[in-house]
Amino acid sequence: MNKTIRALFHILPIALVFAIAFGLRTHAADKLSIDYDEDDYLRAAQEFAHLIRTSDGRGFLDANYRPEHPQLAKIMFGLSIVNVPEQPLIEDVPITADPAKYLPRELLKPARTMSAWWGALTAALLALINPLGGLVLAVHSFTIKYTSQVMLDGFAALMSTSTALAYYFSKRKQGKAKNALLILSAIFLGLSASSKYLHSAVGIAILIDWFLVAREAGETKKYLRNAFLWGLLSILTFFVFNPFYWPDPLGRIQATLEAVSATTTNPNVVNSAYPVWQQLIHLSTSVPVRWSSQGFLVRLDGLIFLFAIFGLANTWKKNRFITIWLFVDVFLLLVWQTRWAQYILVATAPLSLAAAEGIKVAWANLAEWWRARPERRKEAGKLSTREMKRALPWLIPGLVAFALLTIIPLVLEFAISMTDFSSISIRDGFNGGIWRAISQGLTGQVPAQEIDIGTRSTQVNFTGLNIYPPVFSYVSQSPPNLLFGTGPQSILFFNAMWTVLSVVLQFGIGLAMALLLWQKGVRLGKFWQALFILPWAIPELIGAQMWFNIFRFESGWLYLAAEKFGSASFFGTIVHSLHTSSSIRLIPLLLAAAWYGFPFMMLAVSAGLKMVPQDVLDAAAIDGANRWQAFRTVIWPLILPLIVPALIVRGIFSFNQFYLFQTFSLQTATLATLSYNLFNPTPEYGGLPGGQFAISAVINIIAVIILMVFVILFNRWSKAGEGVSYA
Amino acid sequence: MRKISIPRQIVTQLALVAIGFFVILPIWGMVRLAFDGSLMGRPTEFRLLPKVWAFEPFLRVLDRPYQSVDFLTLLRNSLVVSFGAGLIAIALGFALAYAFARFRFPARQTGLFAILLTAVLPPVAFMTPLYILFSILQIRTSLLALILVYAAFAMPFCIWNMRAAFQAVPKELEEAAFLDGASDFKTFLYITLPLALPSIAVAGLIAFLMAYSEFAMGWFFVDKADNVTLAMSIYAMTQSWGGAQPWSYLGSLAIIMSIPVVVIFLIFQRALLERMMFGAASDS
Repeated sequence: MNKTIRALFHILPIALVFAIAFGLRTHAADKLSIDYDEDDYLRAAQEFAHLIRTSDGRGFLDANYRPEHPQLAKIMFGLSIVNVPEQPLIEDVPITADPAKYLPRELLKPARTMSAWWGALTAALLALINPLGGLVLAVHSFTIKYTSQVMLDGFAALMSTSTALAYYFSKRKQGKAKNALLILSAIFLGLSASSKYLHSAVGIAILIDWFLVAREAGETKKYLRNAFLWGLLSILTFFVFNPFYWPDPLGRIQATLEAVSATTTNPNVVNSAYPVWQQLIHLSTSVPVRWSSQGFLVRLDGLIFLFAIFGLANTWKKNRFITIWLFVDVFLLLVWQTRWAQYILVATAPLSLAAAEGIKVAWANLAEWWRARPERRKEAGKLSTREMKRALPWLIPGLVAFALLTIIPLVLEFAISMTDFSSISIRDGFNGGIWRAISQGLTGQVPAQEIDIGTRSTQVNFTGLNIYPPVFSYVSQSPPNLLFGTGPQSILFFNAMWTVLSVVLQFGIGLAMALLLWQKGVRLGKFWQALFILPWAIPELIGAQMWFNIFRFESGWLYLAAEKFGSASFFGTIVHSLHTSSSIRLIPLLLAAAWYGFPFMMLAVSAGLKMVPQDVLDAAAIDGANRWQAFRTVIWPLILPLIVPALIVRGIFSFNQFYLFQTFSLQTATLATLSYNLFNPTPEYGGLPGGQFAISAVINIIAVIILMVFVILFNRWSKAGEGVSYA
Repeated sequence: MRKISIPRQIVTQLALVAIGFFVILPIWGMVRLAFDGSLMGRPTEFRLLPKVWAFEPFLRVLDRPYQSVDFLTLLRNSLVVSFGAGLIAIALGFALAYAFARFRFPARQTGLFAILLTAVLPPVAFMTPLYILFSILQIRTSLLALILVYAAFAMPFCIWNMRAAFQAVPKELEEAAFLDGASDFKTFLYITLPLALPSIAVAGLIAFLMAYSEFAMGWFFVDKADNVTLAMSIYAMTQSWGGAQPWSYLGSLAIIMSIPVVVIFLIFQRALLERMMFGAASDS
């Protein structure tokens, strides 16, 4: 192949990614309304533009409007409007003020366009590593949002991505080229920190990965020296590009720290009461439609997040650094007190790379499934007619019963989800209205109606699949209940997080207890075992009631204790933090879930431990294996076949968890609770419109689809769980 | 492995005590309520022990726990519904389970997938369409409807487990009987069924327990106080529409309702675990 053509093949995807990214960002820059902070940074930009125009070098030493952020990105915005005729400075408002109603278009437009350039360049840079990853970043809605508004995060992300890329490519080079790239990465790291402090996270990731590489090569000493020089260079760069620090470095650092802590404790941050996991919600959901209905052509962030999770294992195998980069970023996002959505731009670049890997994995799996089709058909064709004849007398009665009790209800559920059936049209629905609507709709006699939740129609109407999109966006963008702050929330996210957290907790306690009781000569072993089984044996309804009896508002044990011992007591502090921290409100629920679930896990692990042969352990001990090694290499593989099905059973149970939330009066916590309470023809509490049969049906179908994917994935990917596969 | 050292024993016991406390705490909260004769409504002060030890709430609950319905009626409803659901799930499901365990036929994999999927669905996914279906058939408020709802929910799980149980019966045994001239049905009746019966019984027991402790669907279906089950009456008591009763009634009813289940679990723990893990723990 001709060299030029080959070069073209390399450049074309990158150029394409850039074009798509830039197009989407300029579109958003055009449509999005003015957001918080845009006025601030625009004002800062005006100040810097003025300094540049008047060649006032000294001015840079002091100008730093909103000093909780460094100067560089603001200076860049200044460059974007340097040719715009001078305008009066944008009003200086408190940091907690609402977004500006109006900003001069001559200023806003070039600044936003510059932001779009940065965002598109970041995507193109990422395409250097993986064009698909670049494409993913290009279409990521939250990334688009903050790289098309006057926000510091776009430039900072460009710098931190450059840092990561320089390091990434340095790993593949030797000698001078390697050193040059490393120096470049140090400089870019300094520039990242000069744009927004949190974006120096990539530096931590580099240091960790670099250390791991050095340790494998036995060059820890050399690493320490090099890493020190590397860090020094980046700090130097940081100071060079932040003249604000020059006059009085220590004093200015202190001033910055004060400004930062002032932002993290500012009333907006505090009142929003974002839970610890808020940034995971921002990462896993698209920009809510109510924030902007027109700014984004696609909203795929949830899908991207899922693909990233699927791609994690492969990313780790192929490219440890990318995974470390992602984890460090996500960890910092979780612990960082300010949880505004724009901060996630720290992590969206590595997230996109992981997602690209996930898409590849999914694609490979699909292709494999497609390829194996003829073989499967051959396998199915082998069935003998004799056996078929023998099977029929068993199959027919069984299928009839199964169909009557489970298949028909599910089909009916799907049918209802294609109507607007509600308690208003209950009479018509029960008298054949559902059947009429569906049959007329499917045969095309009536068109699918647009949905209208507030419909007062006493007739059941056919709506086709029209209810699905709004209901799906409802469950993916609405708060699971009233407990978790004011930020974007998602019932789906909560449902998933709940599943993971409660299963991990149950498994941790269950495993620990099983191992403790497995030791030889533990006193009262039988007693403890019997005691620990109790929560499993107590009906869920009553267990939930028992926990509610502790945490129930006012009459719960905890509240009564706080009343008795005063608000400064231990109990008082717990009650106080339950009231003030949205994250802590999850703990009572998790405690109850762990209480229910750990005995099951303990029993499963115990059953597995019984199968560990003593002589193998003895042999391992003779070979000098310590306890951890014995566990890792002997015990764990033997108990795994029992743990995996137990995890799956408990995982499905947690996903469907209903009675616990219902008892705690959290009517919209999970899909199951939401569906139940929206269905309820006689709502017991205010707040939820009951009798929404069609909407409840849609939610159920969504749950069915999620569980279906879960079962399919599990069957395809889990070799350890043969117990539940189609043996 | 040698017996553990004394310091290790102490650390182990401390950890066990901590978790033991965690296990006992909520249970104790309920016991304390149940035996407190001084409660007029909800508890109003913090106490670790009942203020006035009394057995009266238990006696009262054993008489008329919920509105004017007496305990025996509630218990009878619970037993009828739970036994009915368990029996129907087993009786209607076994044929399908056997077919999937022994024969190869077209779309077998798809069928297995459907059974597994329906076994993991949340109860509400069956409850809502059955509510509408039974309303149309005008049998919604009968106990039979409730039995069918619980049976529908339990059946896929039972089928899956019975299939595992049938599969665990050695095929050679069946083939020997078949070669001796026994029909498929006879082979099943005299060879396979007796061997698989214990596992089937446990699957049925799980279906029973599921129905026994279910309340949320119950309240959608039942509209006569005479048809209320124990679990439903507990839920009603916790919601204020159960009437403003002393909470000691709630506590004692919860304990009375739990005791048989706890006993069952303690006796059959190994078998229940095996079935609840869809047959994955069947080693011994």
